[in-house]
Amino acid sequence: MKLFSLIAAATLLTITACQAQIKNAKTATVKVYGNCGMCETSIEKAANKGKTSKADWNEATKMAIITYDSMKTNAESVLKNIALAGYDSEKFLAPDAAYDKLPGCCKYDREKKTAMLIQTTKDTMAAMQNHTNHQHEGMANAAQEANQLIAVFDSYFSLKDALVKTDGNIASAKAKDLQTAINAVKMEKLPMDVHTVWMKVLNDVKEDAENINGTKDISKQRDHFMSLSINMYALIKVAKTTETVYYQFCPMANEGKGANWLSKESGVKNPYYGSQMLTCGKTVETIKQ
Amino acid sequence: MAIQKNICKKVLLLAIFFTLIISNLFAQKIVRYDLFVKDTIVNFTGKTKRAIAVNGQIPMPTLTFTEGDTAEIYVHNELNETTSLHWHGLFLPNKEDGVPNLTQMPIKPNTTHVYRFPIIQNGTHWYHSHSGLQEQIGMYGNFVMLKKQTDPTFRKGIDDLPTVPVVLSEWTDYKPENVHRMLHNASDWFAIKKNATQSYSEAIKAGHFNTKLKNEWKRMLAMDVSDVYYDKILMNGQPNSDLTSIDGKQLKAGDKVRLRISNGGASSYFWLTYAGGKITVVANDGNDVEPVEVDRLIIAVSETYDIVVTIPAENTAFEFLATTEDRTNSASYYIGNGIKQLVTPQPRLKYFEGMKMMNGMMMMNGDLDDMGMSMSLNQMDMNVVMYPEITGEEKSKDNGKMDSMSMTSNAGVNDNQYNSNALSDIVTLNYAMLRAPARTNLPKNAAVKELKFELTGNMNRYVWSLDNKVVSEADKILIKKGENIRIILYNGSMMRHPMHLHGHDFRLLNGQGDNAPLKNIVDIMPMETDTLEFNANVEGDWFFHCHILYHMMSGMGRVFTYENQSANPLIPNPKLAQRKLFADDRNFHFMAENDFATNGNDGMAMLQNTRWSIGTEWRLGHTADHGQETETHIGRYIGKMQWLMPFIGFDWRYRKMERDAMGKVRGEKNLFGQTNTKDNRRQFSLGVAYTLPMLVILQTEIYHDGNARVQLMREDIPVAKRLRMSFMLNTDKEYMAGFKYIVGKNLGISTHYDSDMGFGAGFTFNY
Repeated sequence: MKLFSLIAAATLLTITACQAQIKNAKTATVKVYGNCGMCETSIEKAANKGKTSKADWNEATKMAIITYDSMKTNAESVLKNIALAGYDSEKFLAPDAAYDKLPGCCKYDREKKTAMLIQTTKDTMAAMQNHTNHQHEGMANAAQEANQLIAVFDSYFSLKDALVKTDGNIASAKAKDLQTAINAVKMEKLPMDVHTVWMKVLNDVKEDAENINGTKDISKQRDHFMSLSINMYALIKVAKTTETVYYQFCPMANEGKGANWLSKESGVKNPYYGSQMLTCGKTVETIKQ
Repeated sequence: MAIQKNICKKVLLLAIFFTLIISNLFAQKIVRYDLFVKDTIVNFTGKTKRAIAVNGQIPMPTLTFTEGDTAEIYVHNELNETTSLHWHGLFLPNKEDGVPNLTQMPIKPNTTHVYRFPIIQNGTHWYHSHSGLQEQIGMYGNFVMLKKQTDPTFRKGIDDLPTVPVVLSEWTDYKPENVHRMLHNASDWFAIKKNATQSYSEAIKAGHFNTKLKNEWKRMLAMDVSDVYYDKILMNGQPNSDLTSIDGKQLKAGDKVRLRISNGGASSYFWLTYAGGKITVVANDGNDVEPVEVDRLIIAVSETYDIVVTIPAENTAFEFLATTEDRTNSASYYIGNGIKQLVTPQPRLKYFEGMKMMNGMMMMNGDLDDMGMSMSLNQMDMNVVMYPEITGEEKSKDNGKMDSMSMTSNAGVNDNQYNSNALSDIVTLNYAMLRAPARTNLPKNAAVKELKFELTGNMNRYVWSLDNKVVSEADKILIKKGENIRIILYNGSMMRHPMHLHGHDFRLLNGQGDNAPLKNIVDIMPMETDTLEFNANVEGDWFFHCHILYHMMSGMGRVFTYENQSANPLIPNPKLAQRKLFADDRNFHFMAENDFATNGNDGMAMLQNTRWSIGTEWRLGHTADHGQETETHIGRYIGKMQWLMPFIGFDWRYRKMERDAMGKVRGEKNLFGQTNTKDNRRQFSLGVAYTLPMLVILQTEIYHDGNARVQLMREDIPVAKRLRMSFMLNTDKEYMAGFKYIVGKNLGISTHYDSDMGFGAGFTFNY
């Protein structure tokens, strides 16, 4: 009996010893942005480093109680790990790539990041204002009109990049951006020639964007991307963009019939094959502005 | 009229006189620094360790001069060992170059040495100890030479930006001598720490069993991009630091900051990335280059880069990140004020993809095959196969197969298979993108001397050399003053090497024609060929070596020396100095291992250097019939790959044998029908050990009594991350097989079965 209790005591001791006891423990309570139960799991997982640190995040208050071994680490590096997992806090902004990788339900509102972006846009707007003040009013208007389509082209290029990377999820998301950009265009403000082309391609472009957004099947997305690219080409020929654009062609795409796309780089990165045949194709036209 | 002319003349003379005085005054400006080199205790990891501090700080203080100054640097050695300081990338008289036993004698403890030289160039350079392994434990610092305001090459918008010097370095809690020893003994402890063992079970899990098998068939150990695991990465001595203001001026949105970055790490390359957008490279190795915008760059050991970054937003600090090439560790610098915007960390390497790539390149004889791609200037980075950000995330088993099929079908077609910039949107700097702002041509009418070197090496034994010769095995290379020296380097080893030339800048021929950039380090990746040229314009003995500290100490270098040059007054006894210089790579490294098992006591001890190996093994049974034996071998490794080692040996064994009915000892017969008694046997032997594919060692020995023995043995088969297997069998019908679980750097738990001693288990200690 005595032996038994001894063993029991020893076992108990071992168990308590095995539980990650954080020595020299200090705690800090900090705000970490997030919005669901899944966020809680990933925030705590990112903070949990065995005997060095852990965190307890509360979904309702968005506050995390961080406990850490003050001899080995500090609250800041725990928060950094949390930020690297995609979660902003008072101290850190997560890398965009980490935030983008969060599952849909975890895509919390990035108040902190937005604050920074708004500030930046204000700054650049102010700078632009200063700049344009010196110029003719009409010039500024023309710039604005072109700007309308720049958003369309930019989201087209992002979509193309996603296809280069053979990433159906991102492609679908970028197609959504494209839809938004298309809807935001104020047709009546477009110059006459651009307006004409815009009217002609609008329905097809809308439909392609919608179809790409509606699927995550990369091969279907690529099918729609062919016609989308042709229309974009027509559009970019008349609209003035600020930089040189390359019209490129891969003879193998579209079951050997060939297909085109637009790119901002002269180097070929094939959106129809991605890494399978990344550099297949050539530039057929350089559209200089 | 005549008078007027006269006055004019006088004024002119006066003017000339004054200009002379003024310029003289400038030239006479002596800038003095006093450096006190002293032992110190540091605590980077929670443990206190010895380091060396200069003026009480790590890194050493930044020394700043303006072109035209005279530097006067007093080095007060308060250590208990000798030291030296090398001014990396500087043009100076040879005796000021700071290489102990080559350009000066080591600075003795408690003495002061003065370095005095004119500053005749500008740019970001650095300085470090060239004595032993002192550079690893704190002796590195920035050395900045400013342009004169009146310099015609002064670049508005670059040279007048707020500027901060940044020294990158690494810290390990292990003594550097121990690191060096462990590298030579092919210890895989660093790989375990990095989680990069690449064992068979990990290979199977990743669907790469065949890759691993083929890798060992080609006699390669687990591949990695760097050798040493470091506990901390430091920027200006800190793993994390904030840059909120420069010269008392708070940083705000729109500000541009110039960082003068030197890589003072002993063996680490660093990826540099920035959370606030593109990085503009404006100088390299202290020489201006035309600004080039990139997303990231890798800085080789001992290189310097000047970069400009912009703070894009208010109330935000942007992370500037230096990540080791193996991506196990990093240091952060937050530029700006406010909430910290992090940059995406460099994702973990896909080691098995790297292994597969190496398998493809490695031929059975140990040479590398570039498959017709001529590679140079870091443009093709074979390592991209391991970079998830370029070649995609690690594939799961099934679609991995699909993908590799389509890859191979394209391999011939796709010239850009390893061209990181063609494969992704991320712009990575390579040497071809560097362009000097002015022409850098060498004197036209000078004679040209062309030299070719192959960088050679052997990871398994950690031998690094040029043309398979280490410093102590090769003659100095004689060059003539005034000659143009052209060096063609080919890297035939499996690791990249930052090759550094003392005292001269060379032009790296990179396709920029007349505007080839000036450098003093060229990083050269496996299978690359690079050409560099310089004008031999300063007499002296100039070291040309790999700047990875542990490679240099292993002898990877040469000395350039000028014909008929005058003797160096700081080297009173050149013979002695040379012997001491050569001692570095002739050094023997000791290792030992002992297994305290239930069935006996097994162990071995070895002393090895570049070519020689002296090893002894012992097996001590606890009982007489288990026997006791030792074998000692003294051998010399032959060839570049060092797979062949002839040796002489001495065996002694004692084992009580079973006796037959007549009471006679029943000798054992070997496979060749030869009888041998094991009862108190003393034998000399001649033999040869050869490393077979799969890293199995075939050892053939003939003893002086005519007996022969053939043995196959393999130790340390990586079964799992920490589990190793070993086996041995020989023609004396002895065999052994065992497992070892690695608990710590010096401790393992082991179990084995031995034909003499039976089954046993115990603890293994190794040093």
